[in-house]
Amino acid sequence: MSLISFKNVGKSYGEFKALKDINLDINQGQIVSIIGPSGSGKSTLLRTMNGLEEINEGQLIVDDHDLSNPKVDINKLRKDVGMVFQHFNLYANKTILENITLAPRIVLKENTKQAEQNAMKLLEMVGLKDQANKYPSQLSGGQQQRIAIARSLAMKPKAILFDEPTSALDPEMIGDVLNVMKEVAGQDMTMVVVTHEMGFAREVGDRIIFMDSGQILEDSNDPKAFFKKPKEPRAQQFLSKVIGH
Amino acid sequence: MITIIQEHLPQLLTGLLNTVFSSLIALIGSLILGTIFALFEISPNRLLRFIGKAYVEVFRNIPLLVIVLIFYIVIPMYIIKINGFMAGSIGLTIYTSAFIAEVIKAGILSIGKGQMEAARSNGMSYLQSMWHVVLPQAFKVVIPPLGNQFINLVKNSSILAFVAGADLMYQANSIASTTFQTNQTYLIVGLLYLILTMPLSYYMRHLEKKITN
Ligand SMILES: Nc1ncnc2c1ncn2[C@@H]1O[C@H](COP(=O)(O)OP(=O)(O)OP(=O)(O)O)[C@@H](O)[C@H]1O
Ligand SMILES: [Mg+2]
Repeated sequence: MSLISFKNVGKSYGEFKALKDINLDINQGQIVSIIGPSGSGKSTLLRTMNGLEEINEGQLIVDDHDLSNPKVDINKLRKDVGMVFQHFNLYANKTILENITLAPRIVLKENTKQAEQNAMKLLEMVGLKDQANKYPSQLSGGQQQRIAIARSLAMKPKAILFDEPTSALDPEMIGDVLNVMKEVAGQDMTMVVVTHEMGFAREVGDRIIFMDSGQILEDSNDPKAFFKKPKEPRAQQFLSKVIGH
Repeated sequence: MITIIQEHLPQLLTGLLNTVFSSLIALIGSLILGTIFALFEISPNRLLRFIGKAYVEVFRNIPLLVIVLIFYIVIPMYIIKINGFMAGSIGLTIYTSAFIAEVIKAGILSIGKGQMEAARSNGMSYLQSMWHVVLPQAFKVVIPPLGNQFINLVKNSSILAFVAGADLMYQANSIASTTFQTNQTYLIVGLLYLILTMPLSYYMRHLEKKITN
């Protein structure tokens, strides 16, 4: 059974339809890359998956929670679905260690020691063990983003949603973040990644979703074939533009 | 001036203590109430938002004296007997909380919405996210305007004099009317208020520096 399932989902902002008739099933363990031009609805689609955006039409089920039902317990869902943002959004008032341990302590009721031990393991994994007691503003963007990934992982989620995790980074920092994402991908995590990193989408991803004007135009289970030659003309155009540069 | 202080020292000290005590009650009370109504004002719930807006608009737009008199005269008439000190302190708390709510609301709104989104996405509830992530940052931002409110509060506590609250100003009135040394009495009392507000002002500035570093 799929972990995330969209059936005829629509989403509007007033008159404007940001998502149109979305049908999409994502299985446990899949690495899905969402690509497409600016304003095509990629972020909106991703943010519906943990309820940061509400849907207006259709049915959306994530980890057995029906997000089309207004009575759904959204906090429970979010324990199992993490999110990594373009601008990191680390808690500015907390140290790196506290950033990682806060939700496990409060939401999962882990005791401080247990949460900190787990956090130190994650810090080691993202290569930032020595930064534990600093504040987010003392770290570079690439370091902050790796912490954000560790913070998500600390909740032991079933899936992590990434919204352009490398777009705000200096080029020399992108590699470190992508490496951490690759490592997470290797741990059988379900990942949905809105990205402009075509290399990551091709090499690490299992699946490509191409969006335009609020619709899924192409859904390919073969990223290498997709990047060689997409079926949809709009996707061909898009790729020639991004890769041409 | 020295003789006034010598002869009325106990009275002045009582007044000073009552002013400090009333200010402390109002400071803590208005900070709590102000935070609660600020949260109401920005709540996703429409009813709470309405209550928050109504509270702030009503209480910051009527004179402090009227609010205090409501507690001194109207409430004892129908509900429960309260003395001048409590009526004054409660009125002062409510009046100040309306301004503090506005200050704290502005502080919360100045924190990028990414902080709330990250905390919610991390599994925390709305209130948990507010309490652990957004509010601490908001308070940091509003320390200077909060300091102004606290200084106003101490000065406004002189409203207790109107309702026999036995505060500093009340004692001043009573000393002035028995000694007829009006100028000197109020000069002394003015200095005593300065002794209260200056350290407060200094402390708030110190806190601001300490927290931003
Ligand atoms: N809160 C909002 N109110 C109104 N319109 C919105 C809102 N959020 C997004 N939109 C509109 O919805 C459309 C899709 O936005 P979305 O952010 O999902 O695009 P995107 O594909 O992520 O683009 P980008 O690559 O620039 O991040 C855009 O036209 C955007 O202007
Ligand atoms: Mg986007």
